[in-house]
Amino acid sequence: MSFTIARTVEDALAAMATGARPIAGGTDLVVGARHGKAPLPSALVAIDRLRELKSCERTADGVSIGALFTHHDIETHPLLTTVYAGLADGSALVGSPATRHVGTIGGNIMNASPAMDTGAPLAVMGAEVELRSLRGSRRVPIEQLWTGPGRTCAEPDELCVAVHIPAPGERANSAYLRLEYRRAMEIAVVGAAAFVALAEDGTIAALRVGLTAVSPTIFTGDLLGQVGRSVADAAAVAAELSSQQATPISDVRASDRYRRHTVGVMARRAVEAAARRAAGETIDIPVNRAIGIGAAS
Amino acid sequence: MSVSTAPRFVRADGPDKVTGSGRYTADLTLTGALVAKFKYAGISHGRIARLDTSAAKAMPGVFAVLTQDDVPDVRFGPFVQDRTLFARDVVRFEGEVVAAVAAVDAATAQRAVDAIVVEYELLPVVNDVEAALTPDAPLVHPEWASYGAADALVRDRNDASFASIAKGDVQRGLAEAHTVVRSRYVADGCHAAPIEPRAVVAQWEGNKVTIWSSTQVPFDARSGVCETLELPNNRVRIIVPHLGGGFGGKCGFHYEAHVAALARATKRPVRLVFNRREEFVAPDRRREGIVYEFETGVAADGTITARRAKLLIDNGAYTADAGFFSQIAAMHALGPYRIPNARADAHLVYTNHQPSGSVRAPTAPQTCWALESHTDEVARAIGMDPVEFRRLNAVDTGGEGPSGQTYGEIGVQQCIAEATTGAGYGQPLPDDEAIGVAIGWWPSFSVPSGAYVKLDGDGSGQIITGAQECGTGAVMTLRQLAADELGMDAEAFELVYQDTSVAPYDMGATGSQTLFNNGRAVVAAAGQIAEQLRNLAAEQLEASPADIVLAEGRAHVAGTPDRGIAIAELAGIAAGGELLIGHGSGMPPGPPPLVGSSCVGDLGMAAWVAPQFSCHAVRVKLDRDTGVVRVLHVSAAHDSGTIINPVGAQGQVEGAVLMGIGQALTEGTTYDEQGRQRNAALLEYKLQTCADAPPIDIHFVQIDTPDAGPRGAKGLAEAPNVATAAAISNALAQLVGAPVRQLPMTAERVWDAMNQEAQP
Ligand SMILES: Cc1cc2nc3c(=O)[nH]c(=O)nc-3n(C[C@H](O)[C@H](O)[C@H](O)COP(=O)(O)OP(=O)(O)OC[C@H]3O[C@@H](n4cnc5c(N)ncnc54)[C@H](O)[C@@H]3O)c2cc1C
Repeated sequence: MSFTIARTVEDALAAMATGARPIAGGTDLVVGARHGKAPLPSALVAIDRLRELKSCERTADGVSIGALFTHHDIETHPLLTTVYAGLADGSALVGSPATRHVGTIGGNIMNASPAMDTGAPLAVMGAEVELRSLRGSRRVPIEQLWTGPGRTCAEPDELCVAVHIPAPGERANSAYLRLEYRRAMEIAVVGAAAFVALAEDGTIAALRVGLTAVSPTIFTGDLLGQVGRSVADAAAVAAELSSQQATPISDVRASDRYRRHTVGVMARRAVEAAARRAAGETIDIPVNRAIGIGAAS
Repeated sequence: MSVSTAPRFVRADGPDKVTGSGRYTADLTLTGALVAKFKYAGISHGRIARLDTSAAKAMPGVFAVLTQDDVPDVRFGPFVQDRTLFARDVVRFEGEVVAAVAAVDAATAQRAVDAIVVEYELLPVVNDVEAALTPDAPLVHPEWASYGAADALVRDRNDASFASIAKGDVQRGLAEAHTVVRSRYVADGCHAAPIEPRAVVAQWEGNKVTIWSSTQVPFDARSGVCETLELPNNRVRIIVPHLGGGFGGKCGFHYEAHVAALARATKRPVRLVFNRREEFVAPDRRREGIVYEFETGVAADGTITARRAKLLIDNGAYTADAGFFSQIAAMHALGPYRIPNARADAHLVYTNHQPSGSVRAPTAPQTCWALESHTDEVARAIGMDPVEFRRLNAVDTGGEGPSGQTYGEIGVQQCIAEATTGAGYGQPLPDDEAIGVAIGWWPSFSVPSGAYVKLDGDGSGQIITGAQECGTGAVMTLRQLAADELGMDAEAFELVYQDTSVAPYDMGATGSQTLFNNGRAVVAAAGQIAEQLRNLAAEQLEASPADIVLAEGRAHVAGTPDRGIAIAELAGIAAGGELLIGHGSGMPPGPPPLVGSSCVGDLGMAAWVAPQFSCHAVRVKLDRDTGVVRVLHVSAAHDSGTIINPVGAQGQVEGAVLMGIGQALTEGTTYDEQGRQRNAALLEYKLQTCADAPPIDIHFVQIDTPDAGPRGAKGLAEAPNVATAAAISNALAQLVGAPVRQLPMTAERVWDAMNQEAQP
């Protein structure tokens, strides 16, 4: 067992080239190992001190979020909580305050759980992941990153350094909701994100929906057919299509039947919330609390 | 009394716990200590065809591997002697201990456990209480008839304890009714889930053993060790360091003897610390699942004419302390109502599940949930407001309860008034909100208990008590009682407790009994010192002992406060002569008489000393698209007698209400077809979190209760856990349009009920 602490990105890449696995907050990796999900890798490289991966910057075409940005950083960031609100909705739901202070966006997406809370919002916003190794750098559309539960297309020596999200443009925004049975330390039973762009007349100009925990990876769909229709109609169609196209399992948390139904409810609410935000309304982060699953109080 | 203006004091163990300086059992390290681990059955029912520990024993670093062959062949159990320390021939639930290992470290111990070879001949799994009572059901204990058992128990095959409470003529009462309502409800089992998983450390010195254990009942644990290892009481000492919560889950005798046996075999201290999964699966302490059938007849004016109830309680594989569950559940199925013709039959049914055992108000929250949901159905059937129905039918001062007990001064009507007013019952609400109301009750347990009190030469005091603290703070309140008796300040007393070799017997942190019984003992012990002090002061002040008043740390002559002397000074004088030592126990009040009823399987649970009453009114909001429920507000009114320490009492109600919300909505054990738990982890077994806690309004109805404990106190650790789930159910039924008939009322079950899916 070896454990190295990387001081530079190059240190980390060098360690990964020799087979070390990166560890950021450890809230998936270490907790999973303690629960017997998978043993700790025999070689680890700690990346949590890499300052250059802790930034969040506006770019020419959107925003770049460093892989080590934590869920707490995201849920309190002025730009992310307004313009990229769906992502902040997701991060604000993660675990508890302690989990959110330690868990990172890079760890969340690279862990590739079908129940991850930042996946669906990032996917509907058209995010790309930047992967880097000693061999070079590449950008992958985030939906292509996930190849199965816990699996990504990243090579073992590739470090995720950043997530790039294009700016939503005028009259556009996003929202994410999940079904939860309690208000902290929960895991998505199902979830849905929506990205909505509105035409000047308030009809749909663009609509994408992403679903959490109803298929082996985050499921996304462009609802091109809804362009030009009202938000209410589009939300209803999104609900129906989401329920139809989901392929949920039955387990101790919920039956497939119930998941299939509720993912439609989440999709409808996500479309409605995203549309309200796109129209300029402020809905507090996370939507789950503001307008509610089991209702706000 | 309003809580905010009442006196408050810091609990003696608070600073330790909050600052992290407190020591829990798992924090203890003893030189040379070994680590214990258990080999569990892992299957629910099977005959052991082969058990081979030789490979495990031969591993380096392994000091002992024990099975039933290595301990006295004793069957034990407080009600039915139906189990042995380790499985003998047959395993009957997944968490049954087959063998125990002691090794140098945890990894070695685990490897040794994995190296133990057990082969089973699988036996049919009894997974359902209704099927278990059919004539051709496989027997969990084919040799049940040969087991020793408490005389009062009525047993038959898979029925480990049958109890019936009957009064009047139910047939006639139902025939005479204007309307008869029948209901069926099913409650899943659930867990106490204390945050500290249990731990035991044992060390022998010569032929004496000291066992540190995270138990709520050290004396009970001691008698278990003595019985199974065949030792006299005075050679076994149980010490409890700080306890990280219990909720009943740490009542009973559990693993103290296994660890003591390992320590004896290895001649080393041995330490056992459970992980969360073990805490869920192994102990005989799960809240019992119950299947209910009710039939209630009412006259046209709404008065109850008759009630019949049938209960099948999941005992699990062994009887543990659940022997009395059938009778106490029968009482809860009849409820705090005036019922002229009543009959409740309850069966405690063996299955191949983890054994049931006392968890906070055993059988009461789920039975109150079922009965009170049924009660709302009855009220609706005759078009009566459910609160009005309860006002009309609830027992009252001087009235007779369903088991034939006539009550002295009781506060159930005041509880209904306070709780409903506090909730704003009757106010207009949005159409996705409703307020549900339920009433509950719970006995005070009158049992023997003892304590010593001493005052040292410097005037500081010690209370040496057998009472056990499990987080309720009741033990902390003993300081107040001693101080009041002696006219001193509570802070002048330190507690010495949780050590069976130091203090007299007490039943432990169970049955909400600490203040009621140990409080009586402390008052008696302090009373002896008070008498000594009055005599001493009388000599010093040249007055008669009868005229001496003890107040504010001084003894003075009645009417002339200036003629006095500090108690510390008197203590100094006593230190040179007859020492200030008191001992107390006091006579526990006997059970009240029952008139006109008959009890089968009578364990004394139908006649309640100083019963406690409650009413909870809960406002909930339903997300109709998903079935997710949020509790918005809880108004809880309690007649638990005099409230001695309001801040402690408030904490008890808040904690119990939150636990009740969990039981109502998210906490339930589910089993696979083989009777194994599917959600034995905190991610899948959903406790409520702080983020889920609603505002909780608390009202204490304080009246003069006959036969109550010290200063008229009853108890408060369990009562507030009784009515919450029931009140939530009654709110939900209004929103759904029908009751949700299975507990917990999970979002999916609520959604099913809204869509009229078949219910259990
Ligand atoms: C109590 C608790 C509650 C939780 N609740 C939620 C929840 O509500 N929603 C949710 O989505 N998740 C939840 N999680 C999971 C977890 O906290 C998040 O997924 C978190 O974002 C993981 O980040 P991390 O930095 O801790 O990842 P780590 O555990 O450090 O890493 C996770 C995986 O990603 C890899 N990895 C990490 N960083 C990189 C990188 N830069 N490049 C390449 N690979 C990398 C690691 O090798 C590992 O395989 C919870 C976890 C806990 C313990």
